[in-house]
Amino acid sequence: MSKIDDFDGYTPTWCPGCGDWGIGIAIKSALIKSNLTPSKAMIIFGIGCSGNMNDFLNAYAMHSLHGRSLPNAIGAKIAQHSATVLVIVGDGDCYGEGGNHFIHACRGNHDMTVVVHDNGVYGLTTGQVAPTADKGYKSKSTPSGIIEVPINPLALAISQGATFVAQGFAGDINHATTLIQRAMEHKGFSLVNILQPCVTFNKVNTYQYYLSRVYKLGEDHSPTDKRAALEKAMEAEIEKFPLGVLYQKSRPVFTDSIPQLASTTLLQKSRFTRIDELLADFV
Amino acid sequence: MKYTWKIGGEAGFGILTTGTLFARFVAQLGYHVFDYIEYPSLIRGGHNAYEIVFSDKKVRAFKSTVDCLICLNKETFDLHKHRLTKDSVVIYDPKDFTPDKGSVLCGVPFREILQKLQGQSVMKNTIAMGASLAVLGADLSLFISMLEKQFGAKGQKVVDINKTFAAEGYEYARKQFQNKTVSLIKTELSTQLVMTGNDAFSLASIIADCRFYSAYPMTPSSTVLTTLAGWQEKTGIVVRHAEDEISVINSALGASFGGVRASVGTSGGGFSLMVESLSFAGVAELPIVVFLAQRQGPATGLPTWTSQGDLLFAVHAGHGEFMKIILAPGDVEEMLELTTKAYNLSDIYQTPVIVLSDMLLSEAHETVSKQFVDDLNACYKLDRGKTVDKPTHLPYVRYKPESDGISERLLPGADGSYYQANSYEHKADSHTTESAEDTLEQVGKRHQKIQTYLANHFDPPTVYGDLDKSEAVLVSHGSNKRIILETIQELEKEGRSVTYIHFTHLYPLDEKKIKPLFENVKRYILVEQDLNAQFGKLLRMETGVHIAEQILRFDGRPITVEQIIAHINEKKAMSGVVEKLQKLQ
Repeated sequence: MSKIDDFDGYTPTWCPGCGDWGIGIAIKSALIKSNLTPSKAMIIFGIGCSGNMNDFLNAYAMHSLHGRSLPNAIGAKIAQHSATVLVIVGDGDCYGEGGNHFIHACRGNHDMTVVVHDNGVYGLTTGQVAPTADKGYKSKSTPSGIIEVPINPLALAISQGATFVAQGFAGDINHATTLIQRAMEHKGFSLVNILQPCVTFNKVNTYQYYLSRVYKLGEDHSPTDKRAALEKAMEAEIEKFPLGVLYQKSRPVFTDSIPQLASTTLLQKSRFTRIDELLADFV
Repeated sequence: MKYTWKIGGEAGFGILTTGTLFARFVAQLGYHVFDYIEYPSLIRGGHNAYEIVFSDKKVRAFKSTVDCLICLNKETFDLHKHRLTKDSVVIYDPKDFTPDKGSVLCGVPFREILQKLQGQSVMKNTIAMGASLAVLGADLSLFISMLEKQFGAKGQKVVDINKTFAAEGYEYARKQFQNKTVSLIKTELSTQLVMTGNDAFSLASIIADCRFYSAYPMTPSSTVLTTLAGWQEKTGIVVRHAEDEISVINSALGASFGGVRASVGTSGGGFSLMVESLSFAGVAELPIVVFLAQRQGPATGLPTWTSQGDLLFAVHAGHGEFMKIILAPGDVEEMLELTTKAYNLSDIYQTPVIVLSDMLLSEAHETVSKQFVDDLNACYKLDRGKTVDKPTHLPYVRYKPESDGISERLLPGADGSYYQANSYEHKADSHTTESAEDTLEQVGKRHQKIQTYLANHFDPPTVYGDLDKSEAVLVSHGSNKRIILETIQELEKEGRSVTYIHFTHLYPLDEKKIKPLFENVKRYILVEQDLNAQFGKLLRMETGVHIAEQILRFDGRPITVEQIIAHINEKKAMSGVVEKLQKLQ
């Protein structure tokens, strides 16, 4: 079995107290609990403080462009669909710049786990507002407060076809570890949105803010009930944040619906050489 | 013999299907074919025309006259009558209109036949096709067997309907019109395949073992998407119609990272969305082939008309400095050859390779002998360069400096190793860096690949003709090749000699190999389908060669043989649409 050290890359450059530390440990712990090694996982990182984990976490990885991790992950998964694919991104990255990709990746039920660091700000570029920030949030780019209402990533994912939708909190590493591990076990498009304070730039959504507003979903919540899941997701509007698996459903994944990938991966399959069969189309 | 057959009518009534069918019919008889479709960007409405020229010799361009014009409506006659001669045959419905120009008239009552046989108006095509086969003295039975192949999948009923209408048109015209103009019989030539540039790109992609193709529909590249999508289950390629072109190229880059050959196809607008990611491929050293089929811009521009106006955009596409290769085929054979080469080059140099096409090359049908395709397939050596599935040295170092600039590329999955395809500048071990020393090492390593390419894989232009003997030297690239070679043939008939320098490896260019071709004291004339003589600029930028005389066209219509000959005869510095522009000013 692999050890945490196997995944350790460079020492992280995150600010002391940043929620990324907790999420970083949760991801590594989940990888180990899932019996993976750095050679067995393909991890696609976005651009941002979260994406900088590329240098702190060993794996076959792409450090993508801002917003483009999901299509990279979709292509990598199609090439080697037997590999575990993890996507590590931020809220601006995944819901802002890459918002269109997010919607369509949900629709495709691409089998991958997407861990979103949701802190309401663009930390790496010194704290401008992110699409998850509350209406009225004041930042350097919105000095009078943001006019738009926040995106609701959980409701969006549930309504667009994601088959595993969960929310964690960077202040509860063990719980976040379990969610990421369950997301990787789930066959399908899995979103784990992790609420995370940005201690440097976000003075509103602090640890204290979240601690008084998060709660764990109980036994009474049925993740297969889509309507109930959507209702839980909508609680963000009254600043209540359910933690746990809101929604889970079984649906064929993208690569399972491609007949040519039924017996082998795209990379391993033998080369097609019967060119004559195609020439009939041109006679 | 060189014969032009043209059908025109309202868009949405099967002109394209009928034209393609006729092109394949004459190719089956062994004739060489070249065709061109005129259509507006509309599903229905507007004027559609399909022009096919066929010959017993290689044919690459049109002639100024039309020998057989099929008018499914009056507009077709009005738009194209200026190209009719007294010997041209006009097939039309006398109930629609009466041609006012003296040609050989062949009235066929399309509408009466439709009513009699209770057919839908789309069947007019089939009646007209039958009639034209009678005029051409062709054998109907071969055509019937083609209908069976074409419509077989739609059921016997559809086949029978088509047969009935074709036979009706054929019989009517045969009775009315005994003095046939040519006799279309089987030639001695070997089997000819009929394909477009897009078909050739698709076929070559399969020959080159491309396993992932992604695209978003955009004219004139869309038929690559649909052709490859149709071949998925047979060949095993995976085709992804993604949500936008940014997703298109990034899913292809993901697949490329995953180890399979991957490509994307688009036109200018979609390519604009891809360029940031092209730069990612450059720094992360991910192989990718980009098929860029140009249409006239800017913006939405003229979606269904041709252009070469994106050349310099392609050259400069992507922020930052990184290596890319641009190949531009001039005809279907070159599309097959250069596309298969593009996949090898992108693997060998671990960088983007753009295959540049244009609407005329992408959508016009041309004949290519089956032997050519068989030979290409048999001789093609798949070369993945330094791609490995196990590292040759441990620990594995992804971006290790090498004298040729090319590091070993390990496919993800090899046990005991790992690395990143990093969009940040990185150290040799692929970790992000901001150090000046690391940056210089990696920038230098990637830049070295250009020298390696120029020494090993750059092909200088092909010279058609004798530079020493010719009165003028035409210089161009892309599908202009076909028109220029046809021009040279025309001038040869008058005993005149003109040479053509045809570039296919457009970027980067090797000054040492190119300059000697421009040292003769000659009239060098650039021929380009754009406003700014972009290839001329590129040539000057990369080699210092300056060509002052230019034939330019940028109204979406292809340059013609007549236009080039007129320019050569009139000895002026500029011609074509440029003149019109100058007059307006």
